[in-house]
Amino acid sequence: MAFADIDRAVLGREYDRLTYPPVTTDELISYARTLGVTDPIYLEEDAANKGPYGGLVAFPTFVVKLRGNQHMPKEVAREMSAGGFDAGKDIAFGVPIRPGDVLTATSTITELYEKTGRSGSMFFVVFRQHLTNQDGETVADVDSRIMQRGRAPKEG
Amino acid sequence: MSNGATFDAVEPGDDLPAITVELARDYVKAHASEIGMAFPRFTDDEGARKEGLPGMIAPGNMTLALLARELLAWAPGGRVLRLGTTFRGLALAGGTIQLLGTVTEKDDARRTVECDVWMETAEGDRCVIGTATVQLP
Repeated sequence: MAFADIDRAVLGREYDRLTYPPVTTDELISYARTLGVTDPIYLEEDAANKGPYGGLVAFPTFVVKLRGNQHMPKEVAREMSAGGFDAGKDIAFGVPIRPGDVLTATSTITELYEKTGRSGSMFFVVFRQHLTNQDGETVADVDSRIMQRGRAPKEG
Repeated sequence: MSNGATFDAVEPGDDLPAITVELARDYVKAHASEIGMAFPRFTDDEGARKEGLPGMIAPGNMTLALLARELLAWAPGGRVLRLGTTFRGLALAGGTIQLLGTVTEKDDARRTVECDVWMETAEGDRCVIGTATVQLP
């Protein structure tokens, strides 16, 4: 098996689904504080109540904390076992996250491709986490691009 | 909120105010732990070197969040609708980085702007580059 042999039927198939415990005020504030956010609408409930959202909301990139059970489907993970690294992310943000929200993430592979550069082949996997809240509203679509450099074909 | 960028006042070509951030080791470690990424490369120099890195680095998910911080510091009453980033280089802990950006397009119908945003090391390397769509008040 090699990267090129991964069955493309994997594309678009849901391979992971996880519902998280309700979001708490403390974790929203803790995320913003450790990032160094200073806008009180992400840090203080009183200020947030008077702010544009009428209450505390998550700083948008809070969504990167939410990981599924399974990073990638087995047949893809097997070909990326040499230790891929995070090459980038593309996030489309939906409705804000508020304390008490119950979020669900579903994961799919959206792209598998290879690029050849001066340093050889590079394999890319893009997986999408579709995050919704308890009302079925989209909170975010988080596309993560994982890259791995090519390996020499195995002998035999 | 009154001092932030507004749609009517912004034009393509405008620069976002540069923000300088010291990536102190304790800061990187604390945020890496917060986002569930307390791996050696993000928490200590020795662990990072064992993974072949020159020293401890900031997680991509932290650098991406810092670019969002830059956008919302510029437009505190705005909403980031989309943020796409490419992690091109290492954001080494212990160093100082700058968050920079520029407005590239304006959409009158949606009252949104497109921005190029990037993180630059003290040596001038753009270690993270990205684009964003921001709805402005």
